[in-house]
Amino acid sequence: MFPPVPANESEALAVIDRDAVLDAPSEPFDGLVRLAATICRAPIAQITLAETTRQWMSAAPDIPAQAIARASSFFARAIGGDDVFVVEDAHADSRFARNPCVLGEPFIRSYAGAPLVSADGRNLGTLCVMDTKPHRFDGERQLALVMLARQAMMQLELRQQVDELRCREAHSQSVAASEHEVERMKCDFIATVSHELRTPLTSIHGSLGLLASGVMGELPREAKVMVSVAQRNSVRLLALVNDILDVDKLESGKIEMHLVPTSLMAIIERAIEMIRPLAAQDGVSIEVTGPHAQVRGDEARLGQVVANFLSNAVKYSPRDGIVSVSVGAVGEMLEVRVRDRGRGIGADLQKKLFQRFQRADSSDARTRPGAGLGLAICKAIVEQHGGTIGVESCEGEGSAFWFRVPRAVEEPAVLLIREDAALLDAMTAELLAGKPVRGNA
Amino acid sequence: VKALVIDDEDDVRFVAQVSLGRVGGMTVSEASTGSEGLDIARRERPDFILLDMMMPGMDGAATFLALRADEATAAIPVVFLTAKAMLSEVRRLEALGAKGVVLKPFNPMTLADEIRTILAT
Repeated sequence: MFPPVPANESEALAVIDRDAVLDAPSEPFDGLVRLAATICRAPIAQITLAETTRQWMSAAPDIPAQAIARASSFFARAIGGDDVFVVEDAHADSRFARNPCVLGEPFIRSYAGAPLVSADGRNLGTLCVMDTKPHRFDGERQLALVMLARQAMMQLELRQQVDELRCREAHSQSVAASEHEVERMKCDFIATVSHELRTPLTSIHGSLGLLASGVMGELPREAKVMVSVAQRNSVRLLALVNDILDVDKLESGKIEMHLVPTSLMAIIERAIEMIRPLAAQDGVSIEVTGPHAQVRGDEARLGQVVANFLSNAVKYSPRDGIVSVSVGAVGEMLEVRVRDRGRGIGADLQKKLFQRFQRADSSDARTRPGAGLGLAICKAIVEQHGGTIGVESCEGEGSAFWFRVPRAVEEPAVLLIREDAALLDAMTAELLAGKPVRGNA
Repeated sequence: VKALVIDDEDDVRFVAQVSLGRVGGMTVSEASTGSEGLDIARRERPDFILLDMMMPGMDGAATFLALRADEATAAIPVVFLTAKAMLSEVRRLEALGAKGVVLKPFNPMTLADEIRTILAT
């Protein structure tokens, strides 16, 4: 008759296989079985997992390991119970008296095995001690066995966790490496395609320009209209290619920023002047509030960011709407915030908006020109300033796009009060190395 | 003014030829490879060469160096035509001794004036 199989044994087997903990170095388990053998004064001790081939064993040299492995019937009884399974004399126990490993090698007479129970109640194996003579396992020794089994279980679980962590780390490293490679290939592809596009564009753009100018002869009125449609679209295509190259170069840091103290308000006012004609077409008005302050930045590039925010705000504003621009301090940074009263942007899209080729709505592509590169370019510019960029929006309530860039550090000024001309001369040479000076001379 | 346009793209060459010739009032010769360009340059001694950078085989830089190495063509000003809009690329070509750089795509109505300005500096 077969000993009872624990209800969750197949589950336990699957867990052990999956855990791959079995190939780990075995010193902690070797130590535990030796300790069990010493405490119980038994010649054989072993940890057996519910996988038949894997055991950690401590045995007297004259007992063949192969033979001990046959003691599986004891193991099966022990793993099935909740407590220590004890057979003090197999010859006197009808369940084992005729057992092959009792009658033959390794001639087991006594056995005590504590189940290895995982934190979530699965029986994964046993820690047991055996003897070839009858053996009394008193309460203290049984308790020691239970405690050592617990230690073994903790070791197993620890290994399992370490293993999981290693797997996760290896996985995330390989994901990061392949993402990096994909990004590099994408950049290479974009750069190549954009350059290749410029050559045919040179011919198309040039031919259309020559045709439209009348150098090749006067065109009929309708043909002129068609040529101007083609010309307008070749300009758009060219702008797209330039944007793609721009974002690529910005993101790979190939464009140098000229960072100097510059007036943020002046940048904003210039951008508003640029956008005003576009806003006027839709009856949108632009208002601006905030202090005059200096940032450390590239005037032209920051102007590009503000103009982009403004043109988006105007584009998505209702007719006769208002776009407000505000400047404020946030710690060491200055923030520019452009708010519209348009239809707003959903939370999902907000996260993706600063990636390349993203638009507020894919249906926009037909009604509002642009490739969805503007905000990616803005992000790259702001980040090269050591700043941050973002959007706050609720659907139906408009959007506020903002960016923050470092405030310009004030050059320390030295104030000299002239009392002693000789001392002043001596100090001047030492003190003033190109610093701004205010004096009362 | 005698111009030589060296570009492997027939269409680009044609547009450049009309821009410099019909719009700009120059006499224009064309070559579709670097080595053909060297021959024509030796023979015709143009006032300047508009030289494409990216060409199969002998590219713009190699053609430029061959022009410089030949006494007959060493003094002819060379203006590069390039699709690589990178400042570093332009600087590299200027460091080679190029008179100037025109970026693709160029404006056909102002190309001749742009080159005249470059040559005058």
